Amino acid sequence: MGKGFCALFKKDCRMLASGKFFLMAIGFLALYTAYVNLGYIRFMQMEPYHVYLYDPAETQASKSSLVQTVPSMEVMDTALLADANGVGLDASAGEVRVVLYKGAEHIDRHRADYALSLLEPSVSLPPEVLGTNTPEQKARKEITCELLFFELAAVGFLGIAAVLFKEKGMGVIRVHAILPLQKDLFLLSKLAVFLLSDLVFAVLLTLLNTGLAEGAVVLPAVLIQTAILSLLMALAGLFCALLLKDFRQFTLAYLVIAIFAATPVFLSANTSVKFDWIHYHPFYHVYMGLKNAYFGTAISPVYYAGAVGTIVLLFLAVRFAFHRETGKEG
Amino acid sequence: MRGLKYQMKSVLRDKFYLMTFLLPILVAVALNFMGSIDMSSLGELHFGVLENELSPQTVTWLERYGPVTAYGTREELTAAINEPSTNVIGVRADGDSLKTAVSGDELDIFRQAAATLPALYERREAAGQAKIQTLERPDIMESLQGIFIPAVLIVAMFMGCTFNAMNIISEKEDGVAFVNEILPMTSSQYILQKVVVGFLFGSLSSVVTACICFRLSLQNLWLMLALIVLSSFVAALIGLFIGKFSEGLMIGVVYIKIVMLVFIAVPILCALIGVSGPLAVVCNIVPSQPAFEGIMALSAGSIGTAMKDTGILAIHCIAWFALYVLIADGRPARE
Repeated sequence: MGKGFCALFKKDCRMLASGKFFLMAIGFLALYTAYVNLGYIRFMQMEPYHVYLYDPAETQASKSSLVQTVPSMEVMDTALLADANGVGLDASAGEVRVVLYKGAEHIDRHRADYALSLLEPSVSLPPEVLGTNTPEQKARKEITCELLFFELAAVGFLGIAAVLFKEKGMGVIRVHAILPLQKDLFLLSKLAVFLLSDLVFAVLLTLLNTGLAEGAVVLPAVLIQTAILSLLMALAGLFCALLLKDFRQFTLAYLVIAIFAATPVFLSANTSVKFDWIHYHPFYHVYMGLKNAYFGTAISPVYYAGAVGTIVLLFLAVRFAFHRETGKEG
Repeated sequence: MRGLKYQMKSVLRDKFYLMTFLLPILVAVALNFMGSIDMSSLGELHFGVLENELSPQTVTWLERYGPVTAYGTREELTAAINEPSTNVIGVRADGDSLKTAVSGDELDIFRQAAATLPALYERREAAGQAKIQTLERPDIMESLQGIFIPAVLIVAMFMGCTFNAMNIISEKEDGVAFVNEILPMTSSQYILQKVVVGFLFGSLSSVVTACICFRLSLQNLWLMLALIVLSSFVAALIGLFIGKFSEGLMIGVVYIKIVMLVFIAVPILCALIGVSGPLAVVCNIVPSQPAFEGIMALSAGSIGTAMKDTGILAIHCIAWFALYVLIADGRPARE
């Protein structure tokens, strides 16, 4: 059995290598790493509101150093036009008038009061810091988690289907039906190849983008979640590949995952926009499992039980579909 | 003409191809309804307090700046503050004043708000007395949709590329490519047949998407149609290139993914960063950039830019077609 598994495992590895699957994974690893380090981290910055003061008579002597004085109203208008989140204070007529571009009601109130408070600054206790991550660490973990999830969910699903369709076309399933090997080994070797390549991808992506020290801390938990996601997607891919006749259909599935499945999950899991129905979205729980692993948050045992149960059910379904397929071919 | 009929027949029989073309239309419909999703909470301040710790007046004062959630225990409050998807600022009583708590991973804007909240509380009596002049600015979601909608249109145009690439690769895998070799058909007839199907469906999908997303004047309508037709043609041609150079379905999918990423990322990054000068000229090498810029210009009413982009796309069409005819010598011409 062990020898048969090794032979199948080697064959699957060769097939993925000849299909440039590993090359593609390395290419995307380089692309994602470049995006995180050169693009994303730079974009994810939001400075406090800038406050511009027009005070020709210099009546505001005690103003904070955060207030920028402008020589005329025209200059203030230009500054606000370029920086629509900024707040203008016009002290030219004695009483201070606040000028700002309209946004959300609560935020506008806060911007106005904040700007006025800078004219008479007072010393207060700095906020207590309860977490351990810096904004950059958070941004790195968040984007690494998103990229890993997307890569595993979409590419793992497509990759295993591509391999199976190729084997179907080459008649490998037909040959396997008469080989003196346990039929489950055919499925297990495929799952093992994809699981291993996904784990290696997860290790490299995490270490390259969250840093060696930080990455090493979260890696054990991330690898468990990667294994769950990889097995789920590979089994789903195998199941669909066994049921569907044509690989072209998978390009559509890929787009559906990219646009409809991933977007609401990312929106709900990463921002304060929360959809009421998101808890019924199976990807949401898997994504949250991965995200909790990156942020070191505890994961409920119910989730693990559900994930293991789903993997077992999917495996049984794939096994049934495969036995039916080999029965047909034999 | 008969060959084209066969190509159309093969497409119409494959429901999944039809769904591929319908997908951008569905996204366009979804985007039109996006207004119903409440995105206003994205930049808002959220406060977390302990139940019965702050006076009702203080809670009402906090609600001036954003929603306040009360938590039963200190642990629950800490968990809410540390939750990475939100920027909850913890607020607790400190004698007559307030003290705040943050997770430390927030953007500067939220940390600054937490740091200055006690000072705002101290001068709460004076708040609301100053005269405030608010100036109108375009809705943030509207400007985001302004980028999303051309992006969906680009995806719709790109569908012709996906279709053509997958069509050719499938023919290679099924051995139909060998049959094509001995058919009484010239290279240009073959190219034309292959381009037309992806081009027609890509254009149709884009036109429907544009009709859902835009309300244009008659003059702009013609320009939009020209942009759609030209970019769908280029996309369909690129599909032929992918089909030609892909050895198998998996490689084809990889090429499609890379081209799609470049097609969408380049114009969106150019729009977000505001690329100008020689770099903007270089970006025009990616055909989706003039298409995206043209659509954005049309929605903003800038006819001149849209016409310039139409010209660039026309050059793309000629260049890509000539290049494909030049390299398509692998297929012998037969009369």
